[in-house]
Amino acid sequence: MQSSKPPQMPSSPPEGFGAAALFTLAAIIAGFAIELLTSGSGITIPRWPANGLFLAAFASAIAAFGFGFREHPVVSWLGGIPVGLSLIIGLALLSLFGGVLPQDPLPAGSLVATLRLNGIFSGWPFAFVILLFLFNLGLSLLWKIVPFRLSNLQFMLFHGGFWIALACGLAGTSDLRRLVIPLYEGKESDVAYEMPTEHPVRIPFSIYLKEFEIDEYVPQFALYDPATDQVVAEKAGAVPEVRKGARAVWPGIATATVTDFRPDALPDKAGNPLPSKGMKGVPFAKVRVEEPGRAPVEQWINGGGPDIKPQYIPVGNYFIVIAPGAPKAFRSSVMIRSESGGHRPGVLEVNKPVDVLGWKLYQMGYDEKAGRWSTMSLVEAVNDPWLPAVYLGFFMIMAGNLLFFWKGIKKMEAA
Amino acid sequence: MTLVEFPAIAVTTAACWGFGSLLQIPAKKSGLAATASWMLMIGGTALLAWFLASYWIALERPPLRTLGETRLWYATLIPVVGYLVEYRWKIGWLKYYCMGLATLFLGINVMNPDVFQKALMPALQSVWFVPHVVVYLVAYVLLAASSVAGGHNLWLKFRSRSSKVSESMSHYLALLGFVLLTFGLVFGALWAKEAWGHYWTWDPKETWAFISWLAYLAYLHLVARKTDVTVLQWYLGLAFVVLLVCWFGVNYLPSAQNSVHTYSG
Repeated sequence: MQSSKPPQMPSSPPEGFGAAALFTLAAIIAGFAIELLTSGSGITIPRWPANGLFLAAFASAIAAFGFGFREHPVVSWLGGIPVGLSLIIGLALLSLFGGVLPQDPLPAGSLVATLRLNGIFSGWPFAFVILLFLFNLGLSLLWKIVPFRLSNLQFMLFHGGFWIALACGLAGTSDLRRLVIPLYEGKESDVAYEMPTEHPVRIPFSIYLKEFEIDEYVPQFALYDPATDQVVAEKAGAVPEVRKGARAVWPGIATATVTDFRPDALPDKAGNPLPSKGMKGVPFAKVRVEEPGRAPVEQWINGGGPDIKPQYIPVGNYFIVIAPGAPKAFRSSVMIRSESGGHRPGVLEVNKPVDVLGWKLYQMGYDEKAGRWSTMSLVEAVNDPWLPAVYLGFFMIMAGNLLFFWKGIKKMEAA
Repeated sequence: MTLVEFPAIAVTTAACWGFGSLLQIPAKKSGLAATASWMLMIGGTALLAWFLASYWIALERPPLRTLGETRLWYATLIPVVGYLVEYRWKIGWLKYYCMGLATLFLGINVMNPDVFQKALMPALQSVWFVPHVVVYLVAYVLLAASSVAGGHNLWLKFRSRSSKVSESMSHYLALLGFVLLTFGLVFGALWAKEAWGHYWTWDPKETWAFISWLAYLAYLHLVARKTDVTVLQWYLGLAFVVLLVCWFGVNYLPSAQNSVHTYSG
């Protein structure tokens, strides 16, 4: 993003682009050669402080080359647009592998695994191209910073932010910790598991799960076809919700009208709904069904639960059933205790993580088989010491982007 | 307003755009025809915008979850780009492409109707949801317009009727599209951190968003290198294919099986 000037005519092909493309291709081939020789072992980024020292040394090398050999044709070329452009294209092409092929572990021996195309973002070709790209970006950035001109602010913010976010995001990958903490209602735990190894580790605080709750959307009618073991798909119309007075029409098959509705009830021996009295019940609907050529039928139906047999109404070759509403929200009410004895309550919910002693706690999941009867909550604890640096990069990119937008508008008005 | 009424709305909107476009022929000589033409074209878009607003209210959530819903936004927004380009650059042809594209998307939605579904999965219930998706959609609309403009500029060149103003317009559309693409990408990363614990996981949708962003980043560097303007128009014309893969195509790729973005299918 070096200029927002509109294209001018006539012009020449990009100078030096052929050599830059060959340079990028050589880096990619060298990366794949290493993967081939190491059977696709990929690259392991060292943890702190080694990654920090490497990044500092790399930045220093860029500064040394940028300031010490600025006029040297090779350094000048390395920091130029043709190299940057060919590396951008190289990055895009390598990312294509990751965008098309599943990035999952594969048995060793296949060509995909040997070249690490199934783990392209932790492979040597990607690492080489990223390093060269950061070198190119760093040089061009230095040359815009020194001598300082306010008119280059947009370039500095955007490119500087990109450099910081990319470099710190990748270098910090090895220090990122994502642990899964299974919690059970009425129990406390300070044990988390590293994934995918399931290696247990002790965390510097404990979490007591007071209650796990799921809110669901309104249940819906569904026409179940036992021949295909599938629900007959609704087309264009609304998925019929189950609530008092609601009416669902399946043309040529049946019409169902809800004459009574209990959102949370438990069945008596005859199958009629009774108030759940604090227990987790299921929605019951009294449904009047009219079928062509048959007398209307009216009875209670429910969607069933762990100890509740579902009830349904047969219509022709189908069954009218109640499908439970999709999860609307799920949350864990917890008490968090630190090793020093301090404690505080918290509510974990999707999109609302809680900060504890440098960790972020996320509501991750629950026992999906048990659904809203789940007494187990899965919480993820994430610690990413490089996050402030990456966010600094993001905000610099956005600030540079705003200036780019402003300059673009100004030039557009002048055009 | 639900999807039951949508086919009638879509047909009425397309008819407004169609008749409005036809009236552009006499509009060159008649002020009355010009007024009627613009009223019809803008009226068609306003009708679609009204449907979108009513649909949002009926759904009780932003209609930005499914591909069909994003197509609806796209069909509403892209003619606006055509109208604004005519207002700003006095270039009339872009609006026909924009209305044509919008009609195509409305047609796809009529042929493949969504299910009226109010549910919004918990991960999407975030303050980032609307800004992230809307910013992306406006970017896509601008980049689609730049792509169409690139194609038309090549046609003009083939007929030896190249226009500097038109080439400049396709560039500025791409430039504004890139700015919004960048905001959409960063907003998505910030949201992912709050929802899924990490700002970047190389999920297939994220990877394709990155590839799309790189494609337009490369375009801007080609401009900075004073690349031949014909090459740039070709580039803009073809770059949109990458965005289409990111928007629709990724759901059909082998990599999509583990995507956390499958809800948008």
